[in-house]
Amino acid sequence: MRPESGGTECWVSGEPVEDANRPVSEFLEFENVSKHYGSIKAVDHVSLTVKQGEFFALLGPSGCGKTTLLRILAGFEQPDTGRVRLGGEDVTDLPPYERKVNTIFQSYALFPHLTVWDNIAYGLKVAKRPKREIKEEVAKMLTLIQMEDQAWKKPDQISGGQKQRVAIARALVNKPRVLLLDEPLAALDLKLRQRMLIELDLIHDEVGITFLYVTHDQGEAMSLSDRIAVMKSGRVEQLGTPEEVYEAPRSSFVAAFIGDTNFFSGVVAEPMEKSHVLSGLLSAAVDKDYSRLKVDGLSDLQCYNDKQIREGEDVYLSIRPEKMRISRERPKAEPHLNALQGEVEDVIYLGSQTKYWVRVGDYRISVIRQHSRFLLDEKPIRWFENVWVSWHADDGFMLEKYSEQDEKLIQLPPEEVGEPVGNNENGPAPTPEGVA
Amino acid sequence: MRPSRVPMVVTWLVIAFFYIPIVILVANSFNSSRFGGSWESTSLKWYIRLMGESDIWNALTNTLIIATIATLASMILGTTAAFALHRFAGSRLQRLHYSVIYTPLVLPEILMGLSMLLFFVELKVQLGLVTITIAHITFCVSYVAMTVLARLQDFDFTIVEASQDLGAGWWTTFWRVLLPMLAPGILAGGLLAFTLSIDDFVISFFVAGPGSTTLPIKIYSMIKYGAPPLINALSTILLVVTFLAVTISHYLTHRGRQTA
Amino acid sequence: MKAANRIRVFEWLVTLPSFAWLLILFIIPALLVFAITFKPSTPFGGIGEGWTLDTLRTLSNPNYPAIIWRTIWLSVATTALCILLATPMGYYMARISPARRSLVLLLVILPFWTSFLVRIFAWKVLLHPEGMLKQLLVFIGLCAPDTSLLYNAGAVLLVMVYTELPFAILPIYAASEKFDFRLIEAAKDLGATSFRAFRSVFLPGIRVGLLTAFLMVFIPSLGSYVIPDIVGGPTSEMIGNKIAQRTFVDRNLPHAAGLSALLTLTVLVPMVVIISLRRTGAVNRALIEEGV
Repeated sequence: MRPESGGTECWVSGEPVEDANRPVSEFLEFENVSKHYGSIKAVDHVSLTVKQGEFFALLGPSGCGKTTLLRILAGFEQPDTGRVRLGGEDVTDLPPYERKVNTIFQSYALFPHLTVWDNIAYGLKVAKRPKREIKEEVAKMLTLIQMEDQAWKKPDQISGGQKQRVAIARALVNKPRVLLLDEPLAALDLKLRQRMLIELDLIHDEVGITFLYVTHDQGEAMSLSDRIAVMKSGRVEQLGTPEEVYEAPRSSFVAAFIGDTNFFSGVVAEPMEKSHVLSGLLSAAVDKDYSRLKVDGLSDLQCYNDKQIREGEDVYLSIRPEKMRISRERPKAEPHLNALQGEVEDVIYLGSQTKYWVRVGDYRISVIRQHSRFLLDEKPIRWFENVWVSWHADDGFMLEKYSEQDEKLIQLPPEEVGEPVGNNENGPAPTPEGVA
Repeated sequence: MRPSRVPMVVTWLVIAFFYIPIVILVANSFNSSRFGGSWESTSLKWYIRLMGESDIWNALTNTLIIATIATLASMILGTTAAFALHRFAGSRLQRLHYSVIYTPLVLPEILMGLSMLLFFVELKVQLGLVTITIAHITFCVSYVAMTVLARLQDFDFTIVEASQDLGAGWWTTFWRVLLPMLAPGILAGGLLAFTLSIDDFVISFFVAGPGSTTLPIKIYSMIKYGAPPLINALSTILLVVTFLAVTISHYLTHRGRQTA
Repeated sequence: MKAANRIRVFEWLVTLPSFAWLLILFIIPALLVFAITFKPSTPFGGIGEGWTLDTLRTLSNPNYPAIIWRTIWLSVATTALCILLATPMGYYMARISPARRSLVLLLVILPFWTSFLVRIFAWKVLLHPEGMLKQLLVFIGLCAPDTSLLYNAGAVLLVMVYTELPFAILPIYAASEKFDFRLIEAAKDLGATSFRAFRSVFLPGIRVGLLTAFLMVFIPSLGSYVIPDIVGGPTSEMIGNKIAQRTFVDRNLPHAAGLSALLTLTVLVPMVVIISLRRTGAVNRALIEEGV
């Protein structure tokens, strides 16, 4: 039943996997894919490509369509429009069992009536591989997941982390062209999650196949992925490397969803005059690289102008806490330095760093101070002290304001954002995100 | 504070209440006196006489044939019913389906017996072993369906997707995943159906024709008109068989729960 | 939309076998009972042509209200006694160690699996005028030699409780097992006595089990026929006996149908309660899962 493609079988030894003629950048391609459940657009005209061997994350809050996209690739859902291509082949209309992709389910979905060994061997047995080959392959997998001595246990006799590893082995043994991971760590506790994170990374390095990883946890996505697609309401909000997504968010949703940030709401004023900036020594020359932002209740702020922003536009200015500096004395005037005076409201000492919340007008600004040079005789900043918060205009981003609806998506604590575990009373019926 | 002893006392008194009549019945089966008011002597004479009652052995044969057919048929019908009820839960058809499956469980047996008798009389169907079997299938379906449904409710359907994801088509998934996982439920339902069928008197009595005697019908007529000591002996044999079967299956399922 | 249609067809395909079977052999016969009530009987025990109100007229015979009344009170008394005994048992079984619980559960389930007729017969032997219990009671002077323990309403009630008790114990035990007993500690911590905690925290906590037990005992009791037939006498007949008499003795099927229709209507009231309860799934789970 399954299309055999001999050349792609040698991933374990790390040999070149794909036909050299095919451009690797178009290994997995979603083209204009949409999926509706009633009036809800779970996936809304999504186009994206994943490269061969890439660790690619779909990141977003509950109901953003990431799981639906994964299920469309696995073949459990049919898209309303669009095509899905895998290694150049159109797989949109293939049933799940004819696709060379395998899934790690959130609930693992191990077969409870089969032993660990039989679970891993399942795909090979179904494919009617020779017995000797099955034995060898399963043994290899058991070694990979370090569970050689647990092979004859049933799934309910092993721990959560071990189940996770069996689920990975059961999928990998079939040598899928893409491994799909649906919130694979969501069911584990924090410590185990951190350990599995490292293991997943090691396994990816070892087998070198493409991973498509669905998660709502930005930490997981940032630490594992080569590239991340941040999704919101069925659309891809931003696609890029973790650094790009974090350091150069393209929307205030992305800025707020990934990591912490401070937002200042303001109106773009006319551009800065260089003269003003440099303490009035030079004559008036306009610096077009920086914008000036009028913020209610604060002095004007400057921001590097990386996109076409017109005067009079309402924007958010986003600055990450670790980009801010905190000091008792007013920082020395520098070009393009923003400085605000306020009062410390909260201090949390975290060992490697200290987190401050500083009240400036209507704003509660969060600042992280790394303890890169700690002096014992230093007098740390404490509650109610008057301080200066400063940052360079290059470290801020002007982004369009986000809607109230976005705010709700962002403010949910991660525990509650967790997607419903696949099935419920409806059995294999579609469980659209956000609907369930 | 010391917990109250009332619940414990009530429990053990009720258990005594359950077993005293049974123990006396069994004891009497070895008593050569007719009514057990006095102990004449210990003997196996009632058992020996029982061996000669060919009516009883014919009735037992009928009962076993009916129970086997009814169990197999109701296992098939009940399992498909449970699957439909679970897979399409909430649809209008399934709500109706559920009511139809559920009602026979709570309706007094006599109503089911009489209504089926009327049905067969109206259709001029010859009453006999066939009508008893049909009636048994009808009430067993509900029990099997409910037993399997209870198992299905704990069933994670993602594993069906997992099976397909690993390359198995619908047929392979059914044989390798669905059926083995549901087998304990289907077997439990079948066991229940078999026991209920063997034990059923009321419904069988209504739809039985002349000459189509099952074991409970035979026992009933012996109780009403026959010789008590013979029934003592027969009852004792039945009790020993069921006690053994239930105890073994009880410990098997309990051990199964610990390991599985 | 093609896929949706295929799913519809599949749903019908898996629903049809059981649905059609029960429709033909359960629903249609049940409706037939009401129809045949209005048919004349034939002298040979058959069902005649045409329509008549004869059966309704005989049902107004003054004997019937007394029998219906007896049927109801015997069922109510059976149900009340069963729940009264089963509730402390459920409480006890939920609190003991798993090994002990397994044993008690087995002891409760065993009689439930043994032959119904054998259990009734065991009581007939015990209560028989020459039986052991009678002689014991006479010996210690608790009853006169000429009192009969058999063939009266008391004997019927006793045996009904005996046979129905497991149906009350199992759902109440199932509910008790899920009950969080820390709530009782919390109630005592707040100053409640043991009994008060039992009444105001435990009983409400297992109410689904209690309701299930009520229905599981009450409805079948209304249809009792074998027990009053074997251990009861003419003064302890129930509707079920009359239905059987009309069927097997008088060979008057329309008359039997009329009585069945009456019994169906009596049963319908608690049935409606079940239909509204069954969405919680508590009823069938309690019955089936624990029974097996």
